[in-house]
Amino acid sequence: MDSKYVKLTSARARSSFAVAAMSRCSLWLGEDHLLSVDSSGYTETYKRFYFQDIQAIQFYETRRGINWNIILGTIVTVIFVLVMIAKPAGSPSNWQGGEIAWMVILVILLAIFGLFLVINLIHGPTCKTYLRTAVQTEELAALSRVRRANKALAKIRPLIVAAQGGELPPDVAAAWMQNLAASGAKAAPDVPPRLS
Amino acid sequence: MNLPIQCPKCRAWLLQDIFNQPELKPCPACGVPLRVEVFPAMFRKAAAVQMSETILVEGESSCFYHPGKKAVVPCDNCGKFLCALCDCDLRGQHFCPNCLETGKTRGKIKTLDNERTLYDSIALALAVYPLLIFYFTLVTAPMALFVAIRYWKAPKSILRRTKVRFVIAMILATLQIAGWATFFIILATK
Repeated sequence: MDSKYVKLTSARARSSFAVAAMSRCSLWLGEDHLLSVDSSGYTETYKRFYFQDIQAIQFYETRRGINWNIILGTIVTVIFVLVMIAKPAGSPSNWQGGEIAWMVILVILLAIFGLFLVINLIHGPTCKTYLRTAVQTEELAALSRVRRANKALAKIRPLIVAAQGGELPPDVAAAWMQNLAASGAKAAPDVPPRLS
Repeated sequence: MNLPIQCPKCRAWLLQDIFNQPELKPCPACGVPLRVEVFPAMFRKAAAVQMSETILVEGESSCFYHPGKKAVVPCDNCGKFLCALCDCDLRGQHFCPNCLETGKTRGKIKTLDNERTLYDSIALALAVYPLLIFYFTLVTAPMALFVAIRYWKAPKSILRRTKVRFVIAMILATLQIAGWATFFIILATK
């Protein structure tokens, strides 16, 4: 059983600032379940979601990627402007030692932040993904980009459908959900507002 | 009982044609683009709870833990007869509460194994990171070697299979210890 896991996503930090804490999440496909691995570097915590038990997988687009683009874009622009201002007159061969050092530092900073910006742009829009079973709703931190979540869902979906003996067409799912809401509202009056 | 799916952003119930669509659709309440994939398990009725039955006919097998209750299944691990109350069904396998507990703590039941300590990573970290401030290796190198030897056979990550980290840690730690030994010998002979 141990050797039968196939990597679905590579390890991702649980949050944008989790680099220092080294908490990373990844998803693996087992024979009959999805394995979510939380790794601190020295310990691993596993959560198994059996295909038979998965009720829903949902994700929504967040603004985190756009915010990072704005922050990184601003930093890159500021450094670029500084490079233009600090650039000494004349050819580089005539520059003094201090001027060369400043230019090297600024160009390195520009390259680093520019690289982060390009990587963030390549990865595309960010999202938050949730997996629901009868007893819990778990955030899948490894699926934090829309493209990756779509790709992963394309791989998981057929396995869940096969395990549960069929799929639900969109109209049937909506009709059943409305039935569920109608019976749920009677059973639990303190539920969130319903949309008609 | 299951409640309908909520928008993860605004918590409004999602009841319209937003399910099982191939692309992201806006939430009818807050407009955030989302994709919701719903599966038949969502609408499956929960199985009725089995009640343990009292023994009515003499000679009927009884539960090991509740002598007055009728046995329905033997434990897959120890073979004790169990009533419906004591039967812990774990994906088709039947365990008594004791075997379930010991199986979990000793890691015998793989599906309950939900945490592993990565001793190979610890040994490697002890052998590598202190190299930045070399003097620490006097203490950390023997520690790395001890961890690598002591936990050589300990269960590894369920994802990784090789012992390469242990091997690298042992080689580095041995080299560090050899370096310190040489240093002290030279110091003593001078």
